[in-house]
Amino acid sequence: MSGSTGLPTINSLVKEDLAGLIVDLLAGTPLEGQAEAIAAFTGALLTSIVGFLAIMLSMFMILWIERKQLGRMMDRRGAMTSLRSLWVGENGTTAGEWWTMVPLIGRPIGALNRWLNSAFGNHDPSRPTVDRVGNRSWMGFAIFPGFFQNIADGMKFLIKEHMVPERADKFVFEVAPYLVISSTVLILGLIPMGSGVYGPNPELSVLFAMAVFGIAPIGVFFGGWASNNKYTLIGGIRSAVQLTSYEIPLLLTVLSVCILSGSFNFVEVITFQGQSGAWNLFLLPLGGALFLISMLAEVERIPFDMPEAEAELVEGWWTEYGGMRFGLLFAAEYMRTYAACILFAHFFLGGWHAPFHGLWGDLPIVGLASPSILWVLLKAWLVFAVVFVWARVALLRIRTDQILEFGWRMLLPLAVLNLVLAVVFRLFLFDASGVVEEGLGSAWSLGIFAWALPLLVTGASLGIFAFLLRDENKEATPERMFHIRTLEPAGTHIPGTE
Amino acid sequence: MHISREQNEAATAEAVAAADAAWGALGVTASSVAHSSGHGYAFLRLTVPPAHVVTVAKGLKHDMGVNYCSMITGTHFPDGGAERGWEVVYHLMRQPVHNPEPNTAHVLVASELKGMDLPLEIEVVVPLPAGDEPTVPSVQSVWKGADWNEKETWDLVGIRFDGHENMHRVLNPHDSPEGFHPLQKQHQIRYHDFNEMYDDAQGFVRKPVDEGRVK
Amino acid sequence: MAQMWITMGPQHPMTHGLWTLRVKVDGETVVDAEAELGYIHRGVEKIAEARDFTQVTPYCDRLCYVSAMTWSSSYIYAAEDLLEVEVPERAEYIRCIAAECQRIASHLMWLGAYGPDVGNLTIMTWALREREMFLDLLQELGGSRMHYNYPRVGGVTRDIPPGWSDRLIAKTKLFEKRIDEYEMLLDESTIFLVRLQGVGYATAEDMVEAGVSGPNVRASGVNYDVRWTHPYSVYDELDWEPAVEKPTSVKGSDCYDRYRVRMEEMRMSCRIILDAIEKIPGGRNTTYANGDEMILAKAPTRAPEGATGFSNYECTRGASQFYIQGGGDGRGKNPYRLSIRSPMFITIPFVAETMIGYKVADIPAIMGSFDPCIGETDR
Repeated sequence: MSGSTGLPTINSLVKEDLAGLIVDLLAGTPLEGQAEAIAAFTGALLTSIVGFLAIMLSMFMILWIERKQLGRMMDRRGAMTSLRSLWVGENGTTAGEWWTMVPLIGRPIGALNRWLNSAFGNHDPSRPTVDRVGNRSWMGFAIFPGFFQNIADGMKFLIKEHMVPERADKFVFEVAPYLVISSTVLILGLIPMGSGVYGPNPELSVLFAMAVFGIAPIGVFFGGWASNNKYTLIGGIRSAVQLTSYEIPLLLTVLSVCILSGSFNFVEVITFQGQSGAWNLFLLPLGGALFLISMLAEVERIPFDMPEAEAELVEGWWTEYGGMRFGLLFAAEYMRTYAACILFAHFFLGGWHAPFHGLWGDLPIVGLASPSILWVLLKAWLVFAVVFVWARVALLRIRTDQILEFGWRMLLPLAVLNLVLAVVFRLFLFDASGVVEEGLGSAWSLGIFAWALPLLVTGASLGIFAFLLRDENKEATPERMFHIRTLEPAGTHIPGTE
Repeated sequence: MHISREQNEAATAEAVAAADAAWGALGVTASSVAHSSGHGYAFLRLTVPPAHVVTVAKGLKHDMGVNYCSMITGTHFPDGGAERGWEVVYHLMRQPVHNPEPNTAHVLVASELKGMDLPLEIEVVVPLPAGDEPTVPSVQSVWKGADWNEKETWDLVGIRFDGHENMHRVLNPHDSPEGFHPLQKQHQIRYHDFNEMYDDAQGFVRKPVDEGRVK
Repeated sequence: MAQMWITMGPQHPMTHGLWTLRVKVDGETVVDAEAELGYIHRGVEKIAEARDFTQVTPYCDRLCYVSAMTWSSSYIYAAEDLLEVEVPERAEYIRCIAAECQRIASHLMWLGAYGPDVGNLTIMTWALREREMFLDLLQELGGSRMHYNYPRVGGVTRDIPPGWSDRLIAKTKLFEKRIDEYEMLLDESTIFLVRLQGVGYATAEDMVEAGVSGPNVRASGVNYDVRWTHPYSVYDELDWEPAVEKPTSVKGSDCYDRYRVRMEEMRMSCRIILDAIEKIPGGRNTTYANGDEMILAKAPTRAPEGATGFSNYECTRGASQFYIQGGGDGRGKNPYRLSIRSPMFITIPFVAETMIGYKVADIPAIMGSFDPCIGETDR
């Protein structure tokens, strides 16, 4: 933590300087006796406000990432090649060569871009054809093109009509969005955003966060029922079922993380990852995957989009809501997504610790490069971009009964397995002496070297993943069953022949 | 790879002979007519008196393998004379479609098709006497495809199909007035476009002669 | 929960057109289904009785607006049968190529609408992006992107412009590679397979009994195609085969088979286009003037009473047929009766029955796999 370098942190600013200030101010007044308590309360209030603002303002980043990445992936040829869009463009250049504005490294970037274009770019002699149909790239001159569009969209919702259906259950109809939104905002206010950037720090903060996360299904169901609309009823029921059934693998996974880290407190989970030498993702990769899948289902993103599937149900349980209530519900989905990303960063990616900080955190100049809030945000955004948006672009909606089957019959056993693994690791393979305050922790060393167990586990998981990726033998399966691929690879079927 | 002219003419001639043999006594005339353009392939045209429609239909289906009822057209001839005030034309097809075994496909090869497997186009013309209540026995029980075709013909032209279950309006609105069948010749298209139809630019005010009319 | 009727009413993002599907559901299972059509009944058959034979063509474009070239060609073949016109071969080739371009564009529109039905929005942007290529080509021929008014009785309005055939070949070859990308996205996605396989079974014989034709029947394992059973245009001179899929169950074809047959049909259309553009009489780089006898034959404009014309045409969604009776107003200048057979009019009630027994979430998957277009249904 940068406290070791002597620079002030938010924590120290608030807890020491501000507290001292308040105590001094109240000296000599009738409130002198409670000065410390007031100082502590003010300090907690300010830090939680800072944390909350950090999340709410950076949420626009999430919306911006979604729009831009979605647009690029959808227009590009293939999800894998969307990274190409960063350098490929029309006739080998990008429109608006932004690197010319960068002082030192601008020219090398331009040279790199030219090389990438010539090596991997798009050379089609019938250029007009290709230009017309994609592989466009646009980096733009502005730094964040389209960023404020989302703010404008949010304001637009304020001026739209708010309608209540005539025979709807009015009280429940109005209450439902507030249940969803307020529980989401409560979580966001609770999650620590950096070392010291948290207000209240109850001992069981993880439990509280997951419990509040689970209030939303009630609001969803209320909304679906109260709208007096068959579509929303079906949507609300599907949603309630899906959310409650995916709570269980989620909670088991979170439990496994907490067992591994030895505490139900966010700060201690994160500190443990920093001090024991390995992030939880490398110890429980299965848990990480399960957490992400369960969170995809909890926030109702494609592929678990069924409750609000536009194809059958228009908007699902949101159908009857208009104006800001719809805007709040829409924002709530993104807030929950963001909360899920941040939770993943905290549980599995070491929270606010920089990667390998144990090695270089003490070095004189480089050690300053760990402003903790920024690391949390970067990790959350990375998780969002790589997992949430990519899954949305490339995958389809799964049918509700298939979602439930997947959740109960596949995720639940895997979550239990994950839990068993966590218990085994903690009980038998954990070396408590390896937990250090500063420097490289070696709690998972197995007596060999610092990262023995994480490397072993990650290697084994990657091996299993690669094994599962290979194609099955198609000749052996003439009767097509659900989870088996096409009989012939794409493009080789000659119509009309056997 | 396509059905050749010879195959088509042989199939049609065979069909004419079979139809003559089966229903010639009932007053059904059968002939092989060639299309007047394109490849000039032939089709079977039957002219059937309305009383024998169901007999002919069943015979076509069971004995000649006609498994596809494609189109049923009704026409109103106010000047057609006493014998042909209305006409119903059925267009039917014989298609060599049989369920394949699982994991196989029936790849029909044109040169190997013979006899009842050759595709055939059939046109059944049923002239109806003039009057206000043209009626034809329904073939809904013979071909499933005839179901909605008959609904449409009744809806638009007004020809009644005896024995048709669940007859209802299909293209016109469900609350159209009784007896309103737009394709009858007394309903004229009076206007060429919307500008002629309405009195004002926005299209709210009908012309004075049409006061109170909906259509 | 009790059984209830849900109305997927005329205004709905999924139903691919303006019609009502009422389904009776028991929980999530569909127990009964009814279709209600007629919301965009525009009365084309009646209007045609007041128009010349040439003036009817734009109305036929607008029958199935997604597949306009095939529908106006279908009408023109019936009009030519009625008026006894011999069409020059170059015009037939051009019509064939234009129809196949239109078939590809229409299948791409289907794919672009089907993806969002099952939840994937990416395929929508990709399919519509490629469709732009073919719409540009057809725009050069017909003047507009969707309703071309291009075929005439006796031929076509104008010849292929200079350079058009080069663009056509370049775009078709590019498109063949892009189809592989669609399959990469969809066919190799387990979720797609799980959503589409085992859903919406229909056997070939049931379909034919009910009057369904076209790719839906070919998905059930029989390669019946009007282009070879009742040949028209130049399909008997080109190297092609109808695309057919093997159904994996005795219950018939499922949605996945119908999806695959349309992908293979797109490939086959590319093959037809590349073959036809090489064989076109008069060369692919020459352009004849409007009205030249190579592309338009002189045709009579009146049909006597008693003459009839009938065309049987493989439209993108099935077999479309036109039946025209001559002798209308103006001493035969107008048709006396124009009767249109729309494949979708018969297919939609059939599909409504196919849905029984599956879940509500399967409704868009099944509906989309039959590729409904309500313009031709309601005429």
